[in-house]
Amino acid sequence: MVRLARRAAHGFLLLLGVSILSFVMVELAPGDYFAEMRLDPRVSEATVQALRVRYGLDRPLPERYLRWVASLARGELGYSFAYGQPVGPLLWPRVRNTLLLTVTATALAWLLALPLGAWWATLRRGPADAGLTGLTAVLLALPDLVIALGLLLLAVRTGWFPAGGMVSLGHEQMPWSERVRDVATHLVLPVTALVLSILPVLVRYVRAGVADALGAPFVRAARAHGIPERRVLLWHALPAAANPLISLFGLSLAGLLSTSLLVEVVMSWPGLGPLLLEAILARDFYLVLGPVLASTLLLLSGNVLADALLMVADPRIRDEAT
Amino acid sequence: MLNNFFRRECSARAKRAVFGSRSRALLAVALVLHSPPAFAQGSARPAEVLRSEHDAGRPGGRLVFALRSEPKTLNPVTAVDIPSKDVIGRMTADLVHIDRQTQRTASALARSWSVSADGRRYTLELRRGVRFSDGHPMDADDVVFSFQCYLDERNGSPQRDLLVVGGKPVVVRRLDAYRVALELEQPYAAAERLFDSFAILPRHLLGKAQQEGRLAQVWSLGTPPAEIAGLGPFRLKSYVPGDRLVLERNPHYWKIDGTGRPLPYLDEVVFLLVPSEDAQVIRFKAGETDLISRLSAANFGVLSREPTAGRYRLEDLGPGLEYSFLFFNLNELARGPLEGVARKQAWFRQLVFRQAVSAALDREGMVQLVYQGRGTPLASHVTPGNKLWVNRALPPPARSLPRARELLAGAGFSWNAEGTLLDRSGAPVVFTVVTNAANASRVQMATILQDDLRQLGMGVQVVPLENRALLDRVFQSHDYEAAVMALGSGDVDPNGEMNVWVSSGPTHLWNLGPSGPSAPWEKEIDDLMRRQLVTLDARDRKRQYDRVQELVATNLPLIPLVSPNVLVGAREGLGNFRPAILDPYVLWNADELFWRR
Amino acid sequence: MSRRAALPTALAALVAMHLAALGAGFLAPYDPTEQNRSVPYAPPTRLRFVDAEGRFHLRPFVYRLVRSGAGGAYEEDRRQGHPVVFLARDGAGAPGGRVHLFGVDEPARIFLLGTDAFGRDQLSRLLHGAQISLFAGLLATVLSLGVGWLLGTLAGYYGGWLDSVLMRSAELFLALPWLYLLFAMRAVLPLHLSPGQAFLLLVLVIGLVDWARPARLVRGVVLSARERSYVLAARGFGASDLYLIRRHIAPQTFGLLLTQAALLAPQYILAEVTLSYLGLGVSEPVPSWGNMLASLQHYHVLASYWWMWVPGLALVAVFLAYYALSEALHLRAGPTSS
Repeated sequence: MVRLARRAAHGFLLLLGVSILSFVMVELAPGDYFAEMRLDPRVSEATVQALRVRYGLDRPLPERYLRWVASLARGELGYSFAYGQPVGPLLWPRVRNTLLLTVTATALAWLLALPLGAWWATLRRGPADAGLTGLTAVLLALPDLVIALGLLLLAVRTGWFPAGGMVSLGHEQMPWSERVRDVATHLVLPVTALVLSILPVLVRYVRAGVADALGAPFVRAARAHGIPERRVLLWHALPAAANPLISLFGLSLAGLLSTSLLVEVVMSWPGLGPLLLEAILARDFYLVLGPVLASTLLLLSGNVLADALLMVADPRIRDEAT
Repeated sequence: MLNNFFRRECSARAKRAVFGSRSRALLAVALVLHSPPAFAQGSARPAEVLRSEHDAGRPGGRLVFALRSEPKTLNPVTAVDIPSKDVIGRMTADLVHIDRQTQRTASALARSWSVSADGRRYTLELRRGVRFSDGHPMDADDVVFSFQCYLDERNGSPQRDLLVVGGKPVVVRRLDAYRVALELEQPYAAAERLFDSFAILPRHLLGKAQQEGRLAQVWSLGTPPAEIAGLGPFRLKSYVPGDRLVLERNPHYWKIDGTGRPLPYLDEVVFLLVPSEDAQVIRFKAGETDLISRLSAANFGVLSREPTAGRYRLEDLGPGLEYSFLFFNLNELARGPLEGVARKQAWFRQLVFRQAVSAALDREGMVQLVYQGRGTPLASHVTPGNKLWVNRALPPPARSLPRARELLAGAGFSWNAEGTLLDRSGAPVVFTVVTNAANASRVQMATILQDDLRQLGMGVQVVPLENRALLDRVFQSHDYEAAVMALGSGDVDPNGEMNVWVSSGPTHLWNLGPSGPSAPWEKEIDDLMRRQLVTLDARDRKRQYDRVQELVATNLPLIPLVSPNVLVGAREGLGNFRPAILDPYVLWNADELFWRR
Repeated sequence: MSRRAALPTALAALVAMHLAALGAGFLAPYDPTEQNRSVPYAPPTRLRFVDAEGRFHLRPFVYRLVRSGAGGAYEEDRRQGHPVVFLARDGAGAPGGRVHLFGVDEPARIFLLGTDAFGRDQLSRLLHGAQISLFAGLLATVLSLGVGWLLGTLAGYYGGWLDSVLMRSAELFLALPWLYLLFAMRAVLPLHLSPGQAFLLLVLVIGLVDWARPARLVRGVVLSARERSYVLAARGFGASDLYLIRRHIAPQTFGLLLTQAALLAPQYILAEVTLSYLGLGVSEPVPSWGNMLASLQHYHVLASYWWMWVPGLALVAVFLAYYALSEALHLRAGPTSS
């Protein structure tokens, strides 16, 4: 309990640190949101300055930070320069859509990686081993964007899947079951793109870990006892290989809001991706800070979870009672 | 004098209307003062309508248009980005509209207007019986209220500066229920064009917000459709965050077609958010969207080569108004951190140096490689797409390396054994060119000119920078040596470019700051631009602006490069598809678009 | 191939690739920045042995490519064959010109892997680009893993407040929006970066920002490793921390490190593309596999010019070699879990 409280305190400090440092970083970066308006020959410098004052960009950094914290308490998370709206209501619907995508993709990737990697570890050198090596190498070499574009091309050439978006036009008029099906068909391509980019890394870790474990004496002993190979694999080797995988799992939770950025943009998925990308480049700072903090929270939870799981998986890791 | 001008225009119009088919091609509108029965609203006064002279079509159907980024707001006063304006433009109407195809003004909500003899006072007569999309009638109070909103500094409208003429904001007064007067501090040549894109706002919905000083916060995305009303062909139906915005037909729209049927034809317009251009192309091919605008030349090529080309029509509209250019840092730099740049300015400030650079550039190569031939090399900043104002007497830019070398040799430059260019003091001519990393065409142009200048012996390094970092260097810190950028006014009229060419202008990129004209020719440009602002005679203005273009082409404050063609596409079967090079390229006549089958 | 032979083979392959990169000046037929504006996106030149009349030539030759037709498609000019010249010299044979392994005489060009948007030879760019990509990727991986391993081991071994501090710092590193710091960094640096400076910057930025992930993974393994019975026993015998780490704990992390190295190197090579958007990577016209692959991110290139995929294939080859190497080393080290 005490440890949990201490972790919570650390977490709070981390959030504080991240928010302050982010403010400082944005301040250091050249240009601000209204810089682009200067390029419009019809807008005068006075108007640009007036807008900066209105949005408080001329105030000193500490004051801006405190104002932001106050708005956090109100649930608004600051104000978006571009949208002229509080940030909170902008984020919620999109965060929901992004999580739908990333949770599905991450879960699928892990569910596929574990058995696939374990199986790969048992393969001798041969066509299957070479094939998997080649396939993961190809997937690693291709940038995410290329994979997503390639899938989109596939969609168009075959017509089996919609070429983007989350719902079809007329979605609101559909009955409930149709609506689920509609979202599901739109989900296929983005999830595939994400899985194809996450999977090779995971599979390699799983394979390496399991291959290692398979060489250990206790596995030989288990086999000697007559335990069937599959049981040995799943119940003896895999758990022994779990250590780095658990840490990885914790880290992948942290990425739930950010891994799908590029895929969302290419596939027009109405999630955080397009919003965030534009906001980052446009220096629409409060809009960026919201997801940064949310990601930090996810990172923290992921690490706490991972640490807890580590202790469960490997009882030798003793509790540090300092 | 203006009355003569006006009368000439009027009679010309009348002539053209009488002579039939020419009027269809040239002018879009003739006024009709009767209202067809379909418009009668019970006991309400029948609306005066505008009759369109284009093909009559059939009502019904939905148009899907992809936007590259989400509209940020539905508030016409604060909207600044293109997607917001695309959407808002379909929901609102202005007093005098610029017909995108003819590039001339035409009457819209104002059925007629007159100008005082000194050109400082405009009296506009509004159409009677026009209603907002929620049924509420419009009158002069709404017009006065709208201009009040745009001019109110509390709202921070980016359009405010357009209404400040001669240092003073225009004054809009109500004369009676359907007449308003607009008073300018000084005569303004393009005053008529001022009205375009100033949407008339509903006082009954926004009055309270404006009074309370929070007008800038209302009508953001997600506002319920019932709270928004406008005078445009469509009104807001629904909005799905991050995905799409749907507009439906405005039943109270004040335009009808040639047969008397009320416009618009389309039932719905859907703005779909498709953030990547490649995805837009793919979805257009797949038939999921009906219009595609701002196509890059490469994608245009791909779309025209693909076998399903029959299902859509692509159009190359020729050069638009955008012009890209290379410019050098000619700012007065204080001593200190920018010492290095200041030393190089000794080269940049020499006209001969700039002329040599311009002579060495392979603009044709840029057009071929960057735009697949769909572009035009530029001699000055006005593109051939601007038919009304381009100076046709200017010779097209010619590439000549020998001439460039000659110019440089004459100015005291020399070459060493390896071919590197050295200045008078023996220092090698080396400089960096910054550009927007996100814009692939600019980076490509910079790469080409880097290679061209290498043949002159100059060492050029291309540094792509993130956009805002680039703007910061150009506008604030002045910490750059040369840059490749592009500008493009939204309108053909020279007044749109005032801020670029006047030496104290905020977009006088190569030399920002309070200093005055740095050379006699700069002073001449200043004078000419200020003069054309108030000259009312069209021919005089043209002469003045021609001279400005000549001065730019000879003195090269910026070195014009190329102008890309405007490339658009539409699904086969879309009637009245008449794209133009003025923004918004394909949607400007959304009220007249219809589906043939 | 037996497991024994795997290590030398993988090593040989990697060394060969890196040597090829170093020898790009000789191996590549053209200067990688040389633009041929009349032949953008030209398909690979076909090597022919049989000419239009049906005669067989021992020495391969090529035809010149010309644009034809309104669509600008490329066609071979069959009227004259240009034989491939080995040990060709730049500058039409004049002394002092650089020597290349092969080439063809003017006005023909030999583009074995086609050209890009500016008509630059892709093969030359691939070979020269390897210099940046392979070495920067390698060095950044070493840096990131080195720092990550050190900090992760310290955190896992000592635990307590050191662990807390290091892991929280790691979380901070992972959570911060680095992009802005990178923008700020670009603003502070001089505009003109020499290739050497740009290279160093690339390595430092990529390597130092990403230590947190390896650190976390290593820490987890170390946490488990230090509780092994033999470690406890050794400690009971009075072994020092350094000895324990070096002898017992570190070897347990090697497998993980090798796996990570094989996975991180590709990611870092690709990360260079993002950095060039920020002005921090290599800029035009210097080639790198990253910016060559960046052109693939456009639909029209993806759909129409298949030869632009070649850097991807080269990357695959490199990754396979790294992977084989890491596997072989892993095997050498023997099973590390017990």
